[in-house]
Amino acid sequence: MDVTNTPAMTDTSEPHIEKTTREVPVTFSGDTKQFFGIWVVNILLTIVTFGIYAAWAKVRTQQYFYGNTKIEGHAFSYLAQPLQILKGRILAVVLFAGYSLALEFYPLVGIGILILMIFAMPWVLNQSLRFNLRMSSYRNVRFSFKGNYGDAFVYWILLPIVSVFTMYLMMPWALKKADEYVYNNINYGDKPLKANLDTGQYYETVLWIFVASMATMVVLFAATLILVGMGTAIDLENIKSSSAIVVISIVGTALYILAISVFSAIYKGRIRNHIFNNSEYDGLATFKSDVQITPYSWLIFVNVVAIICSAGLAYPWVKIRTARFLAQATTVIIENDADNVLDVMAESQSAFGEEAAEVFDIDIALT
Amino acid sequence: MQIIEGNYYFPQSNKFEQVQLHITDEALSLFNNHQCLMTCLSSQAEFSPSIPGIPIQINFDDGGKFVAIDNNQRIHESKSNLEFLEKNKPLIIASIFLIPALMWFILTIAMPRMAEESVTLLPQSVSNEMGEQSFEIINKLFLEPSVLPVERQNAVKLQWQQALKELSLDETRYQLHVYASEYFGPNAFALPNGTVVITDDLIKRLDDNPDAILAVLLHEIGHVERKHSLRIVAQSVSNTIAIAVIFGDIEGIGEVIIGTGSTLVLNAFSREMESEADDYALEKLIQLGKSPTAFSDAMKTFLDLKSEHESGDLLKYLSSHPEIKDRIKKAEEFGL
Repeated sequence: MDVTNTPAMTDTSEPHIEKTTREVPVTFSGDTKQFFGIWVVNILLTIVTFGIYAAWAKVRTQQYFYGNTKIEGHAFSYLAQPLQILKGRILAVVLFAGYSLALEFYPLVGIGILILMIFAMPWVLNQSLRFNLRMSSYRNVRFSFKGNYGDAFVYWILLPIVSVFTMYLMMPWALKKADEYVYNNINYGDKPLKANLDTGQYYETVLWIFVASMATMVVLFAATLILVGMGTAIDLENIKSSSAIVVISIVGTALYILAISVFSAIYKGRIRNHIFNNSEYDGLATFKSDVQITPYSWLIFVNVVAIICSAGLAYPWVKIRTARFLAQATTVIIENDADNVLDVMAESQSAFGEEAAEVFDIDIALT
Repeated sequence: MQIIEGNYYFPQSNKFEQVQLHITDEALSLFNNHQCLMTCLSSQAEFSPSIPGIPIQINFDDGGKFVAIDNNQRIHESKSNLEFLEKNKPLIIASIFLIPALMWFILTIAMPRMAEESVTLLPQSVSNEMGEQSFEIINKLFLEPSVLPVERQNAVKLQWQQALKELSLDETRYQLHVYASEYFGPNAFALPNGTVVITDDLIKRLDDNPDAILAVLLHEIGHVERKHSLRIVAQSVSNTIAIAVIFGDIEGIGEVIIGTGSTLVLNAFSREMESEADDYALEKLIQLGKSPTAFSDAMKTFLDLKSEHESGDLLKYLSSHPEIKDRIKKAEEFGL
């Protein structure tokens, strides 16, 4: 056990200036083979139990990832109980079935339901974040989320809609506000997280994506020219043109996936770095994230290609390597004389919001 | 007695201490340098389920928590069956084959059957409401009043009325409308309440062949009679739910792959429904004393409309209508 941190024990009588913080890595020790077994067996059990086991599968998967994510040798814990998840999930599935059937059977009523959904979404997302953070703990202290409906509605619904009318010019700012809302409402025990985000970073990131997409267009244009050239050459050699079409469509798809990977790496990588580097638990810890865009783009690209080529079987490998990559890019700077963090008593938490977010496919990912 | 090395986390705080856990039949005790930190009955502690590669955790009733250091050490008495399954090589390999097989069974056999059974339980009012509301939306978005001469429209409607009467179908339920539509082009469609719409363009195309028009309309009635739209709704909703429940929170490309699989299945299903409606139309044509070639004539018109490249083998599986040539062949063979 590499518990090197007993700050209280260090000899404070020494005259020379001591570092008041220590920088520690986040480690991820998950193993692809191990997780593959968990994943595939859990899916099988879910099918043969008509979906009931899915709640257990979810808890076990989460516990696997949390338990393998460590800071200073202490793992995170996922605390949700399968029965709790099952109850929330049943309610969510029943509602989803009612919602989709109503949408199909009564299209006019469906429009009303969609409007209702817009108003329900911030509540569902809030509940989902609240549940997920409440069920996460580190060193026996839980996280929590204290966002409220009003703010959630403004930052997740109102501002994005308004920015559409500004030809998306306001969008980077709206995205920043939404991130600020989420991260400034997270607590670790009794310590609130403070995120001071900078609007400029969001605009710069979007600008980079714009530049990258321009570059992609140029590349695609050049590639098309080359392929057309090749196409005519092939025709001249009297090779079946259908194989040329196959080649062109494979190359085209690969280029398309690559472009999307780069864009998503730029956004997710830069914004993650920015959020981590500018967030702190006052008197407790700050964070450093150093996601490099090139390897991150490549990681995403390989993930997508692997999933496609393996018809989904590469999923566990993708999950593990992504978690490892992100953990490796992260360090935590902990105050040596950090006060004790106190756990705040938990009110009981329903899993409905989290399950609804999942079934309705509107969940939000914490970076 | 079993001894496990680990960390003890104090209740309600992030303080911890390296400890030795001593487990006996009745009690759990924590020692730090041979000093007993705490002791409690086994019933006052809850063991977390064992997961491969994750150390055992014990949550004490007072909020304290113990986490072992060794990832693979387990409590002697409690063998976890789930962990055993998750580490079981033959089962893992079998799962790789069983999962696709079971998914195939669920999506292509179980769900369609369930959909078929469940729509018969739906009251007629649901179909009616669904048809009326859909028609209102389609009408507003895609249909304009017909520009065909009234006599021409009436001729089609008269033929329709006669066919309904001869086939003893409900004349108040089956309503034929003629509309102009740029969106649909030469086309006809039916809604679950029995509303059938045929476009000006299609009537013009089949102007010299009233029986072909009738064949197309009978095909549409076939969809209504067999409750096809209700079945496809029931099936696609239950597929979505089944996939969400089984695969959980798969994001990104995984979702795309599974979505594609389910679309292929639904397309196969709707091809099946098209041929069901074809069979219905052919059967009724014969019942009306018409030649089944009227149907193949209509199909030939559609074939002319289709662009060349859509007859590829790969695209056949992607399209929701059976290959038109197959349908023409079937119609031609039907009367034999």
